[in-house]
Amino acid sequence: MTVKERERQSTAAAATRRAGPGREALFAVGGAVLAAAILAIFGLTLPANSYLLFSGFLLFLFTTQSLAWNLVGGYGGQTSFGHATFYGIGAYTTALLQENAGLHPVLALLAGALGAAVFSVIWGYPLFRLRGFYFAIATIGIAEATRLVALSPLRELTGGASGFRMSTAGAGGRTSQYMTALALVLATFLTSYWVRNSKLGLGLFALNMDPEAAETLGVDTTRLKAISLALSAFIVGLTGGIYARAFLYINPNDVFAFSVSIAMVLMSVIGGVGTLIGPILGAVIYVVIQDQLGAAQITFRGQTFQFRDVQLGLYGLLLALIILFEPAGLVGLFQRVAGRFRRRGGTQAVAEQQALLRNETGDE
Amino acid sequence: MDLGNILPVTVGAILLAGLYATMSYGLGLIYGVMRIVNLSHAGIMMLAAYTTLMLYRSFGIEPYLAPVIVMPLFFVIGMGFQRLIVRRITGAAPIVSLLLLFSVWLIIQNAAYLIWSGNTQSILRPYTTRSFRIEALDLTIGWMRLGVFLAGVVTLIILQFFLTRTYLGKAIRATTQDRDSAKLVGIDVDRISMVAFGIGIALSALAGALFSMILPFNPDFGRVLMLKSFAVIVLGGLTSFVGIAVGALVLALAEEWAVGVFGMQTALKDLVSFSALVLVLILLPNGLPSLLGRMPVWRTKPARPTTAPTGGKAA
Repeated sequence: MTVKERERQSTAAAATRRAGPGREALFAVGGAVLAAAILAIFGLTLPANSYLLFSGFLLFLFTTQSLAWNLVGGYGGQTSFGHATFYGIGAYTTALLQENAGLHPVLALLAGALGAAVFSVIWGYPLFRLRGFYFAIATIGIAEATRLVALSPLRELTGGASGFRMSTAGAGGRTSQYMTALALVLATFLTSYWVRNSKLGLGLFALNMDPEAAETLGVDTTRLKAISLALSAFIVGLTGGIYARAFLYINPNDVFAFSVSIAMVLMSVIGGVGTLIGPILGAVIYVVIQDQLGAAQITFRGQTFQFRDVQLGLYGLLLALIILFEPAGLVGLFQRVAGRFRRRGGTQAVAEQQALLRNETGDE
Repeated sequence: MDLGNILPVTVGAILLAGLYATMSYGLGLIYGVMRIVNLSHAGIMMLAAYTTLMLYRSFGIEPYLAPVIVMPLFFVIGMGFQRLIVRRITGAAPIVSLLLLFSVWLIIQNAAYLIWSGNTQSILRPYTTRSFRIEALDLTIGWMRLGVFLAGVVTLIILQFFLTRTYLGKAIRATTQDRDSAKLVGIDVDRISMVAFGIGIALSALAGALFSMILPFNPDFGRVLMLKSFAVIVLGGLTSFVGIAVGALVLALAEEWAVGVFGMQTALKDLVSFSALVLVLILLPNGLPSLLGRMPVWRTKPARPTTAPTGGKAA
């Protein structure tokens, strides 16, 4: 108990420190803009049909999702297995409005994101009464139910199991897709940074640590959860729309798939749930495993294993190791290593991250 | 509305309920004792189905005899797993256990893909498709379905006997009610948790072995069934086995009637259980027993507040 209290105090102190702008803000915002500029210039130097452009596009899309999931799943501690609903609704709203209503692509994208945000409020409000894994399990129910509805009763609209094909008109080249996704990832990172330091973020940290205490202090936890989920849904909805426009084909079984939700959870938790940089690290690992190692193969006792075949297990293994040994994810691991070198400071940061994660430790 | 169908549909639903109950007992037991939701449940069922298949293919063991081997095997696996891995995270935030068991599911699933490939398998024996007719009622019932239903009922009776008559069972119930008090009266809570986890996994495996005889399966098998199990235990009030049996019956009836009597599309059948899961969590956090508890005649004991998903800290 005393350890927990001490951890909580140190986390609270960290939160107070974070509130003030200063060198950290300069570092985070400046660093992000600089990194984005370098990536943009790099993108421009690549030939228009380069595979790297496509990989980069995917990486940025996943990173955006991971950062967006972290807003509600990390900062607020509301583990959602239902973010695929936002992805799917964003993708379908964008595609349908653009194809059937002839809406301008940008407006269609925004409408898709807005649709996802509205949907998040619809299921978010009733579900926010639930705590811990009850919330998580209810979101699985919501996600699977949404997929079924998109697949069958809305078959006329979504194309059912055979999917929905878009005309090639609004696709744009690989370079423009790359740039769009890069801009989105930068905007999402800055949003995430802003949320972390705003009153919204502090409220989310507070409710993550102890919902009752936060309520007592006058934090409207339901409102905060709803706002963060809607923000998260809006961003994920945007990625859905961008995905639809890049691939020109969407299918309820793809965009509403359980695996879409899982990917966001995996990326955030592996990278470092509730941290600023963690979701980015997680997304990089995720995409590298999925995209770059996909073609690798191992020959063992005359049998050849495609690397693709062990992806899922590899993510599972990473997740298990992270949860058992380093709850603060890769970020925690790096900080621990850095702390070894610096002797001081690093361990403190790790303790803070871990305290955030280990909130609500059952009353053993 | 098609009322002419109501009898066969209801009989079908009752048989299905046996299956739903069997697959939910393990989940309920593990939740009760450890306050952990076993998200690897689907993986365990799938693994047990493949084990049954392997026992038949390699050793010629009839699938209906397989539970005799599968259950002890998974009991030992479950205990070892609890001892080595799950114990490390007792007392952590609920989401930690959820993610850990989820990662286990991913690993099991991937291992199954590597070992058995993604092809859909099914176990076909002369008796698996045989059925009998009751002419007077115009009913056709598959022997396998009936057998699986009876297995579910027998399991419930044995479990109820075990939990009320044996020391181990009583200790498990005591731990379920209040972990700290159980410690105070001298129950080795760690050992009880290990045994209960083993039994829970063995029950999941029993369900998997039974499923392998009536449903086709592949490494992705069990996701929808796992969600249905969640719906069942939430309906049943989370910790009572009789509650789970009743929850299974209610869910099976709702599903079968929605399709067979009220004419819902078959493709939407699973929607019933998904909606039930969400709605019951929100509206009836203590499940059906809390509904009974409100009626003075049936009131037995007050619902335990610690099991409520909304109230207090989700311990």
